[in-house]
Amino acid sequence: MIRIDSLTHVYPGSRKVPARVAISDLTLAVNEGEFVILSGPNGSGKSSLFRILCGMALPTSGRVSIGGFDLFAEPARVRAILGVVFQSPAVDKHLSVAENIAIHADLYGLSGAGFRKLRDEALAWTDLGDRLDQKVETLSGGLARQVELAKVLMTNPKVLLLDEPTTGLDPVSRRSFLDALHRLQQTRGMTVLMTSHVFAEADDVDRVAIMRQGKLLAYDSPTALKAMIGTEMVVIHARDTEGLAERLRADMGLAVRCIGDEVRLEETENGESLPLLEKILERYRPDVLTISIKQPGLDDVFVHVTSKAVPDHALALDLKRTGT
Amino acid sequence: MSSLVRVSLALAKREFTRFIRQPQRVVGTVAQPLLFWLFLGAGFAGSFRPAGMEGVTYLEYFYPGVMLMMMLFASIFSSITIIEDRDAGFLQGVLVAPVSRLAIVLGKVLGCTSIAMVQTLIFTVAAPFLGLNLGLGGLVMLLLGFVLTGIGFAALGFLLAWGMKSTSAFHAVMMVFLMPLWMLSGALFPLGNVPAAMKMVMLANPVSHALVIIRMPFYYGPATLLADPHYLTSLAVTVAWAVLCLGLSMARVNKRDQGVAVPAG
Repeated sequence: MIRIDSLTHVYPGSRKVPARVAISDLTLAVNEGEFVILSGPNGSGKSSLFRILCGMALPTSGRVSIGGFDLFAEPARVRAILGVVFQSPAVDKHLSVAENIAIHADLYGLSGAGFRKLRDEALAWTDLGDRLDQKVETLSGGLARQVELAKVLMTNPKVLLLDEPTTGLDPVSRRSFLDALHRLQQTRGMTVLMTSHVFAEADDVDRVAIMRQGKLLAYDSPTALKAMIGTEMVVIHARDTEGLAERLRADMGLAVRCIGDEVRLEETENGESLPLLEKILERYRPDVLTISIKQPGLDDVFVHVTSKAVPDHALALDLKRTGT
Repeated sequence: MSSLVRVSLALAKREFTRFIRQPQRVVGTVAQPLLFWLFLGAGFAGSFRPAGMEGVTYLEYFYPGVMLMMMLFASIFSSITIIEDRDAGFLQGVLVAPVSRLAIVLGKVLGCTSIAMVQTLIFTVAAPFLGLNLGLGGLVMLLLGFVLTGIGFAALGFLLAWGMKSTSAFHAVMMVFLMPLWMLSGALFPLGNVPAAMKMVMLANPVSHALVIIRMPFYYGPATLLADPHYLTSLAVTVAWAVLCLGLSMARVNKRDQGVAVPAG
């Protein structure tokens, strides 16, 4: 449904700032009906990719097709099947909920009984039923988000793009928003591509793509991505993180990595971690503040993949393993 | 109803709805030119004696000039909302919708023109007190002048606001740019006695022509106006200006950020 082929985007420089490569030779495909999360650290190129997919920027090179239409040659046809939820809601805060929805209906050519039916369906899952005449500026962040999503879903898009839509929401609002999104995506069979930093949002999706410095580093199902770094990992907080890591490498031949204030031993399998933990404690107890065994989550995969400590050959290996 | 008309009207309606919900904006934009007119009119009343305009008081002479000022400033400064729409996020939702780029421009321009017209029409109630009696035909021709002026200058405001990052920058640029254009339009003083070079500038100034199509309906009926070369020239210039600004605005909206070549090395 979404095909991105060899996409490169370079922002022009100026006298003071050099030209910047935001996306570098990116190839990615999202199948019809899939829910994909696109993640990456700040400056990884997610927002640039989102702007290009929305048709708001033209890349340096590469091709993008959405729903079978060439995004750059047939932007109007793509816009007709696209729903876009931006990071900051694209609503007029000075107008009421109903007025915002009515304007959106006009933009998409909806009117009469058809419009009312679609509007009621789109609002059914929200908490906006008795707030239609309320100005959006008086609503909470979570409810304003619901207005945004309701008006976008009202147009029944085949492809839904969301740019960090849960930014600024409290955990309850975030959960409620995501539940509704998953439910609607499944019942309508929409293709969803959503950028996010929050990995708790990624466990239920079909695939997760991770970018860094404009490149796609990993793209697979959450389960497969987590398997990339083993079924267990040992995490140590030490008095001297670098010093302990160095000794573990030298004395025990362990491929540990320092991530922030942690020493991590990844890619251990079930049953291997506990004996290792005991050995480490036996030798280095005075240096160790805490030591634990945990099952890797997607945030660990993210850290593993995007950490600058990961050399390029290791990234290439990960890509092979994830089949991208 | 075609998509272009439907979307333009929906966006224009939104603009107008936002305006009427801010009564202080209505009062402010009407009160300032009104005071300007009363104070300058009273101040220059004794010294205004241009040749061939005997019997015309400065208040009367300046009256269409103030109307022009209201149309000009209200339409241009209403288009500042394009910056707010972008900052608040509303504009991005419109840009990704399957609508023509012309509809986006027209929606904003028609909204701003209608706002400017409401303010200026309030001011027309002063006309009978100056002895200026507009018939129905005159009123129609006056409205035509308002609409064309509003569209041209709202489109100019749109064009300039589109590329600006802040409303304060827009204000600064427009005051530097717009005030001289209005002053050199004949709104404050007639073109008859000015130096030749300045007269050339005034004739090339599109605001001067807008003033002609706003001033003349107070003195001549539609039949006379439509046979008057001076009026028709100004009408044509105002229409051309509106088309030019609309075209440039549409081209600006159509323009998307384009990635550049990969830097060497």
